[in-house]
Amino acid sequence: MKLPGFALAIPAWAWLFAFFVAPVALVVWFSFGYKPGIFGTHANDVLSFDRYAEALSPTFFSTFQNTLWVGVVGTLICLAISIPFAYWLAFKAPVARRGILLAMVMIPFWTNFLVRTIGWQIILAPSGLLSTALQSIGVLDEPLEILFTRTAVLIGVVYNYLPLMILPMFVAFDRVSLPMREASKDLGAGRWSTFLNVTLPLAKPGIIVGILLVYIPLMGDYITATVLGGAKGNMAGQMVANQFQTAQNWALGSAMAVVLVLTILTTVLIAALVSWLATWPLRASQRLVLGDKS
Amino acid sequence: MKQRTFTDISLKAWAVIVFGFLFAPILIIIIYSFNEGRLLVAWNEFGLGSFATIATKPAITDAVMVSIQTGFIAALIATALGTMAGVALARRAGKWAPWFLILLVLVTVTPEIVDAVSLLPWMVFLGQDAGLSIFDNGIVRLVVGHSLFSTAVVAYIVRSRLIGIDETLEEAAADLYAPPFKRFTQITLPLVMPAVLAGGLLAFTLSLDNTIVSAFVQVSGTTPWPVYVLSAVRSGLRPEIASVSTIMLLLTLAALGLVAYVLRRAGDSPTDIAKTVGGG
Repeated sequence: MKLPGFALAIPAWAWLFAFFVAPVALVVWFSFGYKPGIFGTHANDVLSFDRYAEALSPTFFSTFQNTLWVGVVGTLICLAISIPFAYWLAFKAPVARRGILLAMVMIPFWTNFLVRTIGWQIILAPSGLLSTALQSIGVLDEPLEILFTRTAVLIGVVYNYLPLMILPMFVAFDRVSLPMREASKDLGAGRWSTFLNVTLPLAKPGIIVGILLVYIPLMGDYITATVLGGAKGNMAGQMVANQFQTAQNWALGSAMAVVLVLTILTTVLIAALVSWLATWPLRASQRLVLGDKS
Repeated sequence: MKQRTFTDISLKAWAVIVFGFLFAPILIIIIYSFNEGRLLVAWNEFGLGSFATIATKPAITDAVMVSIQTGFIAALIATALGTMAGVALARRAGKWAPWFLILLVLVTVTPEIVDAVSLLPWMVFLGQDAGLSIFDNGIVRLVVGHSLFSTAVVAYIVRSRLIGIDETLEEAAADLYAPPFKRFTQITLPLVMPAVLAGGLLAFTLSLDNTIVSAFVQVSGTTPWPVYVLSAVRSGLRPEIASVSTIMLLLTLAALGLVAYVLRRAGDSPTDIAKTVGGG
């Protein structure tokens, strides 16, 4: 008896179908309905796109804008922090200690998400450590008013998702073999030139994985915003949760959730397209060089 | 030559700063777990009082127990389903494989809040309208919610590990007339064991950490630890929260050390372990 190739994948497929595909499809279905009266959460006897219009109305649209801002800026900051750090870890850090250093990167990642965010609340509070330290060295004259602002949310999300960027980026840099980089240097390329033309392009897949691992959960995050952002640091995740938990408007909440997913997918596709177009001249010139040699 | 050392020094300085950033809030939490004050964020004086308080608050210990229990079951399910799926993807990929990968990618890219709001009505539907009363059970709900993302992650990790290993061993076993099931348990499974362990550990910690899905699907009476903390954020944080976190951090570190030890005995270098855990 020979089982078909996908036999082993059937349990996972069935599980994900029952508890991912079906419930998400249900939410998409709700998003075309409406909220009937005060006590109902959703009804689908009249179908329309009205909830989408409502979700994108000025009241809620600014929250989507804010979420996108935090998502993009947060991911870029993570990228800026991770590139030199992962480079150091992969090429400069002592090889024998690399395992421990990697474990150290992961420690925050293995500490409860909420609790480490609360740690930032203590640090960033007006009477907290950072504020006191900055006042005592004379950088600030008055207490630091950063907690419950968008900046605090930004610090929190960068912190919470940074290990997810560092790890795949380290793996990617680590795969760029030393002979490859040495060959580049032997052929007369400088350090920067080797980094930009050899190391970075070869590490690209890992960097992309890192960006996605940070950007996607960051866009849906609402815990960090709740702990550090107060009312001002509104994120789309909080808005969706409010519709389901407080306002009891499942139809509108569903539409917001769908808009959030579509926003993430669209921005990822746009970013992919832009980076593909931006490197077009580069690839064309490289192809020419290779063609000359053969 | 001079410029070279300058770059190296700056890179090292940057690494020190990044580590400082990564550790700052954790050190703060550990320090504040010895706070004798009434509120966590307002430092009063040093003491072990909050550790003693934990024992007198059954709500805290119950919540931690719910989390550990859920993490264990969710990790088992995710590891079993994910390992089988990963092996199928690496060794038996056919026309179905791209479609299945798309499903896995969709599971990974969907923000947790969307899973959460989808699962809540679905659980209510299954439990009440469809009459499957098992879905009214708090632990079952949490386990289902926590296992989705992890299943996909374990499948990725196992798949990438197996793709890197030549199929010759399995072929040799088949040539020697090992039946498929024996081939799987005696050859394939030991080969992917580091990936399975790493995936299981990841699934367990992801479950312990899970706040958003838990907050939605939980049933009162089975509140997991992160949801307990979340409600404390709203009602006033007390130092016990930090004490429990300190204890849990120590336990996690011990578990991590154990897994690293097992993996190293299985012949992986530290970098390989990190790669497996990182999903590379």
